[in-house]
Order: sequence, then C-alpha cells, then structure tokens
Amino acid sequence: MNRIDEQLNRLFQAAAQARPEMELTPPYGMETRVLAAWREGTPFHLWDTSLLIRGLVLAGLIMGISLWPLMNQSTDPFSDYLQLADSTIQVDNAP
Amino acid sequence: MMTDAEVTACVARGRAGDEEAILELFHYMYPHIAKLVHANLPAKESAEDLVQQVCIKVMRNLNQFSGKAPFLHWVSRIAVNTCLNQIRHERHRPEVRMADLSEEAAGAVERLTVSPDAFDSSESYIARELVEKLLAGLRPPDRLLMRLMYLEGHSIEEISNLTGWSRTLVKVRAFRARSQLRQRYTLLMKKKL
Repeated sequence: MNRIDEQLNRLFQAAAQARPEMELTPPYGMETRVLAAWREGTPFHLWDTSLLIRGLVLAGLIMGISLWPLMNQSTDPFSDYLQLADSTIQVDNAP
Repeated sequence: MMTDAEVTACVARGRAGDEEAILELFHYMYPHIAKLVHANLPAKESAEDLVQQVCIKVMRNLNQFSGKAPFLHWVSRIAVNTCLNQIRHERHRPEVRMADLSEEAAGAVERLTVSPDAFDSSESYIARELVEKLLAGLRPPDRLLMRLMYLEGHSIEEISNLTGWSRTLVKVRAFRARSQLRQRYTLLMKKKL
C-alpha cells in the first residue's frame, strides 16, 4: 500500500467516526403524511388489482365456454363432410 | 426494538389493512431509513422528503416483502435504491480546490501529509468535510458505493444486497472509484505543495 492509500485510509477512518447529527424521531406530521399516503395507495391498489384479475379470469372463462362448441365444430373435418352430404341430398331430392 | 416474529406479525397485519401495524412499522424503521438517507444524501434539504418517500414506498409495497431476508434488509435496499435514483441527477464537480476547504480542513490536509497520526477523534468532522469534498467529484453511484464501503463499513456482499449490483460490479466500481479518489487526492496535494 502506498503513501497516498495510507493517507486516504486514515482520512476515511477519521471521517467514519463523524456521524452527522440528526433526529432519530420522525419530524412532526410525517407519520400522518405516510399514513395518509398508505391509505390512499394500498387499499385502492389491492382492491383494484384483485378485481381486475377476477374480472379477467371470469371473462376468459366465459369466452372459453362460448367458443368451445364453435372451435370443436370447425376443427372436426368429419362434421363438414356430413353437412356437405346433407345439403347435397337435400338439393338432389328437391322437387 | 421488535423481534423478527413481531415484525413478521406486524407486516401481516399491515397487509390486511391494520393502521396500527403500519404505524408500528413506521416507528420501527424510521431511524434506520433516516440514518441511511442522511449518510448517502449530502443535500440535507431534501433528506426529509426522501425519508418520507422511502417510508411510503415500503408501506405501499408490503405485499412484495417475501420474508426470506430480515425486514430491515429489505427496507435498506429500497432506501439505497431511492437514494441512488435521487443522486443520479446530482452533478459532480471535476476537482477539489484548497480554496473550497475550510481553514481547519486545509490545515488538516497539511498535517496529514507530514504526520501519520493526523486526525484524532475530535477532528473527525474535518476529515468528514474533506472526504465529502473528494467524493463530490465521483459519479453518483460510485460516490454512494464509497460511502457505504468506507464510511458505513459495509462489506462487498452487503453492498451487493443493498444495491442489487453483482459482487463483481461492486468490486469493479469500488476499484475504479478508489483510483479516482487517489487521483483527486494526489492533485490536491500537488496544488498545496
């Protein structure tokens, strides 16, 4: 360790002993402000988020249930053939 | 002083919306936050606002506290990161001039070059002034790192936890900041001589 480093270390050691003076009790009014900010933020935030999540889950379920038969139908090629055959028979047998 | 179990119970009550629990937590963590903010933010006029900002952040994010680390560690991390965001906007000065130092600090610099025992405990505030002047020239994150490491006495591991930086990044930044400090100090000495 060179001389400059030694001097810097001593300087830091001495400076570390100097603790800036400060009050360790909250200043007047801070408690109220923090509590008010928490009241404003948290309950609304929690309510908002949970409601949004519930809403999204419910909407997803409804969409899934309503689209299920349609998707099943469109992905089943056999049902298309049946429909085609049915309509052909109807057209052929029409007077 | 609250025990870990009491703090955990208080956090749970706070999450459920208990105002008394929130107040208990506030009084428990206030001295810790105030110390951290005052140590890492030289501009004292904004320190109180910043302490309040940290307290509100903690209260609003109680749900994110996992309980894996002690509550005050989690609070410290929020406080340090808030300070870091704040001091990012501060400018740094390119150099320290003897004219910027008080008479006592200038005298102390002179003594430091000749006497290995310079700075007894009664002179620690002069040393602090000088260190703050030297640190003022560093980039804000480096300044915060030097304060945490040399003035607050945190280990690399602790700084890594507080800042969220990797241990390698902490070491690299510390090395770079220390080199800059050395340069600035050498320059100050040369000007004096």
